[in-house]
Order: sequence, then C-alpha cells, then structure tokens
Amino acid sequence: MSKPALLPLHQALRKSFQCLENNQKVWSSVLVECSPLMVSLGNLAEQWRALSNVQLSNTPLRDFPDLEERLRFKLLQATDTVLGKLNEKMSSLQSVRDSISNQVSAVFQLYEQNSDSLDLLTVTERSATAPSLSDMLEWLQDAERHYRQQFLRRKTLLQALRADDLSLLESAPERWKSLESPSAEDGITDTLCKVSLFIESQ
Amino acid sequence: MEGQSGDITVTSANRKCSAVTGSARKIKDNAADWHNLMMRWEKLNEEGFNVAGNIVNMRLTRSQSDQLLLVDESSSPSSPSSAPSQQTGGAAELQDECCKLQDVVDKMVAVVTKMERLVTSQRGVQDLEEFQFGPEGRKFPLFHSWNTKHFEESSRVLLESFRQELKLKQLILQEVAHTATSDLCMVYLSCWLHQPFTPPQTRLTLEALLLETGHRPL
Repeated sequence: MSKPALLPLHQALRKSFQCLENNQKVWSSVLVECSPLMVSLGNLAEQWRALSNVQLSNTPLRDFPDLEERLRFKLLQATDTVLGKLNEKMSSLQSVRDSISNQVSAVFQLYEQNSDSLDLLTVTERSATAPSLSDMLEWLQDAERHYRQQFLRRKTLLQALRADDLSLLESAPERWKSLESPSAEDGITDTLCKVSLFIESQ
Repeated sequence: MEGQSGDITVTSANRKCSAVTGSARKIKDNAADWHNLMMRWEKLNEEGFNVAGNIVNMRLTRSQSDQLLLVDESSSPSSPSSAPSQQTGGAAELQDECCKLQDVVDKMVAVVTKMERLVTSQRGVQDLEEFQFGPEGRKFPLFHSWNTKHFEESSRVLLESFRQELKLKQLILQEVAHTATSDLCMVYLSCWLHQPFTPPQTRLTLEALLLETGHRPL
C-alpha cells in the first residue's frame, strides 16, 4: 500500500544521492590538488630546518650581508603563498560539506514531518529496486558525518600552521596524509552503488 | 626592437613618443630589453636549480657511499669489486653537472653584462637631456609621469640586485660540489632558488617601467 509521504521522500532521497555523487567527485579532485601543495610545504619545512641548523657566519656565505634575513624573508613569502593556496582549497572542501549537510538535513526534516504516517514496516521495507528508507537515511547520515569530520580535521590542521612553527610545518604533510580515510570513502562509493537503481527509477 | 616586447598596443603614449624624440625611443627599447633579460635570467635560474640539485644529490650519495666503503674496508681486507668503478663513474657524472652549472653561470654573467650596458645607455640619455635642457632636465615627461632621472635610478636598482645575485650564484657554483653537510647544501639550493637579493620590488619595478613606457596597457 502506497503512502502519500513516500513519494516526496523518495524524490528527496534521490536528489540527495545525486548531490552526494557529484560532491564526492569534487572532494576527491580537490584533495588530489592538495597533494603537490603539501609536498611543497614539506620541502619548505626542510629548507627552514636546514637554514636553522647552519651558522652562516661559519660558511663562505658570510661574505653576503644580511643574506640570512633576506633568505628568511623569501622562504616566508613562499610558505605564505603555499598556505594561501591550501586555504583556497579548504573553501572548496567547505562548499562540498555545506552542500551535503544542507541536502541531508532537508531530507531528514522531510522525514520528521512525515514520520507519523510512516510505520516501522514501511520504513524497513525494501524492494528489488529500492533499499529501505531506514537504510538510505542511515547511509546519508554516515556520509554527511564523514565529510563534516574530514573537513573539520583538515581545517584544524591547516589553521594551526605558521611559518614560524617549524615542527608543525615539518609534520604537516604526514599528518595530512594520516587523515585519509579510504574505508569511509569506499563505504560511500558502495552506498552509491546500492542506490544506483533507485536513483534511476522514478 | 618592437617585436621583442611582444605585446605592444598602439596608445596615445606610443604614438606621441615615437614621433617626438630619439631619447624616448631609446628608453622604450631599453625597457623592452630589461623585460627580455629578466625573462632569460628566470629561465637560467630554473635550469641552474635543477643542475645544482643533481650535484647535491650526487655529492651526498657519494659521501654516503664513501662512508660505506670505509666500513667495508675496515671489516674485510678484500676490497669490494664493484665499488671503485661506481666511484669513478660517479665522479665523471658529477664533473659533467658541474660543467653544466658553470655554463649556466657564464650565461648569467652575459645577462648581467647586458644589463650594465642598459644602465650605461640610460646614463647617456640622462646626460644628453642635461646638456639639452640644463640640470633640471626636460620640462614635460617623455611618457606619463616619470622624469628621465627616474629611469636611470630604476635601472641602477635593478642592476644592483642582479649583480649581487650573480655573486651569490658564483659562490654557490664554487662551493656546492665540495660541501659535505646536507644542511649547508640545502641552504645553497635555497639561496639559488629563492634569490634573496632580488626582492619582490624588482618585479614591480620592471612592471612599472613597462607600464610607463607603454609596453603594458594602462
């Protein structure tokens, strides 16, 4: 027996999964763009470290007045440039998070509004072409949480970076890499697979 | 000469200047030359950085394998067979890279020499103007707002930066193949790459020069 609440809910779910699919791609490509920037950051950290380990007055470079100051300035400039570009990438990631969060909260709002007319049986009923409502809502919630947490962690990492905190800069590339969560990403890909028939059907 | 700068559009400044005097022509050509020389310098800088990087890598690997060789020799009287030939092979490659770097620095010397000529030429224009118009120079600027002295000053500032930079690169060329510590090698590479003596103003000065002489549209 069809419930009137189901149709709009299904529409909203389809829209959400489409949004998820598009945004997953954007997220991945932005992260790929971040990789060379992280490599640059690591290189710059190495250069800072080397400069701090060397006493220029003990080297042939002593003949150049204010060389150290000038080099530091240039390194600072280069570091700021890379950090600036990383911040731009963060904006893109934020857009992804916002899109998904907005879409998912809209779906949940719709569900809440209609939850009275949707009994347990309806909510857990699955068909050949459609997973159950409860499953789909759960998957969306998981995906939203994943991107929300990922964004927060990455943003926090970058916010803390300063050109004058060398150890933070040095550890940044590794810490960035450790934030990767392939299992969660695979989970989302799986989800999209499971709902592919559902999305296509009307 | 016009072709070299590449992106000249005909503006009122252009038209006015090429009709007026030979000095304006000369200054405008000098500005185009500055641009081209600085482009050439950037290319050489990049090329040199790659070569210097190779030298450092070879040098550091070599000093590492030198240490390994010492350990081997001390532990067993029979010397390893392959190591010596690896050593000499490495030395030839290192020599090659050093020659390449020398080549780059020689070309940079040529660039700076041309820059010196530009400053001399600018000095000539300045002297001529003082002769024609007295110590105050001409009343109306040749282009938009710079008086002729300004051109000379800008050129001298640019030249000084590049001269210092060249001295630094010559030092790096001398030292980089003989430096044993990786930290100092890294500092040499940083110095080469980041060009501490050419501050961002240098790029801005060039842009201002190109704007003033009409090579870049206002």
